[in-house]
Amino acid sequence: MNIPTASFALLALSLPLAAQTYKAPRTADGKADLNGIWQALNTADWDIQAHSAAAGPAPMLAADFAVPPGTGVVEGNEIPYLPDALAKKKENFAKRYSDDPEVKCYLPGVPRATYMPYPFQIVQSPKTILISYEYAGAVRTINMDKPTKAPVDSWMGWSNGHWEGDTLVVDVTGLNGKTWFDRAGNFHSDALHVVERYTPRSADTLLYEATIEDPKTFSKPWKISMPLYRHVEKNAQLLEFKCVEFAEELLYGNLRKQPRGGAAPK
Amino acid sequence: MSHRFFQVVLVGVVSLTSAVAQTASAPASTKMLAAKEGAKTWTPPKTVEGVPDISGVFTNASAVPLERPKELGSKEFFTREEAEANAKKVENTKEVVAPGTYGDVHYSMAQFGLERGQSTLPSTVRTSLIVGPEGRVPALLPDAAKRQAAKQAANRGHEFDGPENRGLSERCIIWGNEGPPMLPVGYNSDLQIVQGKGYVAILQEMIHDVRIIPTDGSPHLDPSVKLLLGDSRGHWEGNTLVVDTTNFTDRTNFRGSGENLHVIEKFTRTDPDTVLYQFTAEDPTTWAHAWSGEVPMTKIDGPIFEYACSEGNYGMRNNLSGARAAEKQTAAK
Amino acid sequence: MKKRLHVAVATVGLGALLALAAAPLFAHHSFAAEFDPSKPVKLKGTVTEMEWINPHSWIHIDVKSADGKVTSWMVEGGSPNALLRRGFTKDALPAGAEVIVEGYQAKDGSNRANGRDITFADGKKLFLGSDNTGAPAGSEK
Repeated sequence: MNIPTASFALLALSLPLAAQTYKAPRTADGKADLNGIWQALNTADWDIQAHSAAAGPAPMLAADFAVPPGTGVVEGNEIPYLPDALAKKKENFAKRYSDDPEVKCYLPGVPRATYMPYPFQIVQSPKTILISYEYAGAVRTINMDKPTKAPVDSWMGWSNGHWEGDTLVVDVTGLNGKTWFDRAGNFHSDALHVVERYTPRSADTLLYEATIEDPKTFSKPWKISMPLYRHVEKNAQLLEFKCVEFAEELLYGNLRKQPRGGAAPK
Repeated sequence: MSHRFFQVVLVGVVSLTSAVAQTASAPASTKMLAAKEGAKTWTPPKTVEGVPDISGVFTNASAVPLERPKELGSKEFFTREEAEANAKKVENTKEVVAPGTYGDVHYSMAQFGLERGQSTLPSTVRTSLIVGPEGRVPALLPDAAKRQAAKQAANRGHEFDGPENRGLSERCIIWGNEGPPMLPVGYNSDLQIVQGKGYVAILQEMIHDVRIIPTDGSPHLDPSVKLLLGDSRGHWEGNTLVVDTTNFTDRTNFRGSGENLHVIEKFTRTDPDTVLYQFTAEDPTTWAHAWSGEVPMTKIDGPIFEYACSEGNYGMRNNLSGARAAEKQTAAK
Repeated sequence: MKKRLHVAVATVGLGALLALAAAPLFAHHSFAAEFDPSKPVKLKGTVTEMEWINPHSWIHIDVKSADGKVTSWMVEGGSPNALLRRGFTKDALPAGAEVIVEGYQAKDGSNRANGRDITFADGKKLFLGSDNTGAPAGSEK
């Protein structure tokens, strides 16, 4: 047993017996088995804070694309924005349906990828844990070996992971600051540092927690948490949501030779 | 110090029992050259789950083309000396940048380490990736050729009308070599294999696509579900992972094929640093017979770096904008 | 179970190895549509930012003309992934570096150019020479 695990075990022994924690099945190398297809069941992608239902951006689509309500996933429901950043957030919210990178099918970054309304799959091996997200084919590889440093920034960041008991702890840096936390304009800079924790809480659920730290945007760290649910249907499978082509008219429509409908299909 | 190294890999002969009948009688296999007398069979290590370990970060770049150059006829294998000379030739091939050439109106490949010879090239003694005496993709069946010609004709003169007129890779939707079958590409020809319980995940660098292959013998998706990368199902046969892929879209266009494409792949670890990748492609509406290839994959240092594409696709904007500007100039004359 | 396959291989002299055309570069987009070969440019400027992105990197430079006017240009480079594999990081081209760019201007007249030749002001190549010299120390593999 390595030292962090031993310390955790000693700490666990000293806790009152009433705090019963679920003991997940093990992988062949003795770690909690996180393999599977998972999905969040909340409206955090719309707005990570508590919010009421609201009209959507497209009157023609009416109830289909209205904003569903949510009780929020932010602990304490407060996001400690610095004053300038709070102003920027409000500006983002006002322009959210044009400025949200998700509209353009851009990669969602961390932690947003976790609570997009699409499934993702964890493929777990001792030295590498791969997380494949159905949305836009987003992917992360979590290095479980000696931690390494991000040489450049990227959309999905640079992930180093380790185990603390049955909890997978992932330290994410190297995020490029171009993603949002949700469709409500909550954002961050390239100084973002996320620490995620994935803890099995029952046979078919995980507890997902993420601590957010970004001194350029927030006055102090803050935290989100939510359960993740296993897809238990027999034929559960990630399919393709390659949304880039859905965004082409938005991105390039003004550069067409003829307005929409004039181009020969390929 | 030069970054590239030429690794001579003694590839073991692997028996390939293709599930698809081939017209060529020689089974697709690699030839072992300079085998030591009495060399014993190499047994690959197992993952913690007890299946053969094919995991790692690999390059499938190649010193030989998919199709055998016509002048080589039916010569399927080089001697070791010929193979080394060929690889050296590829390594020393530089981008042509003379005025009036493609390379002139381009960034410098060499500066960015993107010339093929600047990366690891897994060694091979084959003259082409396609195996067998023909070494070429079969000719298209008449209807398939008509289909292909019609598509090209429809786009002629409209190549820059809009994003839909550009290729799928320029649109950042899918890269041509991703397949399956997975083929070498000029640069960033890398992939990572991660094995978890009951699944094998393959991450291809361009365009960050992951194929997640169940190894439990589960059936394919309903035929009505079409995927750009198809639907893959795997199982182990001894030390070989066999993967069967169907359910392609009609935009897949792998060498002229469409939604009836059926691909069988085999992954076998032949030594600590090599996974031999073999494939058979068939489409009775496109080719008269199936055809097969082999691509050795060599381990490289990881990780796979993110290749986000659409997010930084200035090129698409610039191409369309350039075409509109050129049209204005022509109209003004 | 392995079967040994005996394949007769005709010995062919090296002279018979005709020039095997290197597999054509996977041209995923047409540069002739983007840049204008009739508009060569030679820019000398200061790097303000390098975008280490795909499918192409972009180097932003400020070019000061003789009358002191500053113009911003974007120069297209290659995918940075091969550089990252060699140990380069975003610190390899910091803001403030002086570079010289030779290429062609964008067809639509905007201040963009392809980076056919990019060097530091002292003539040193930006990243790698064609013989792979220039890789960061300690990155040899």
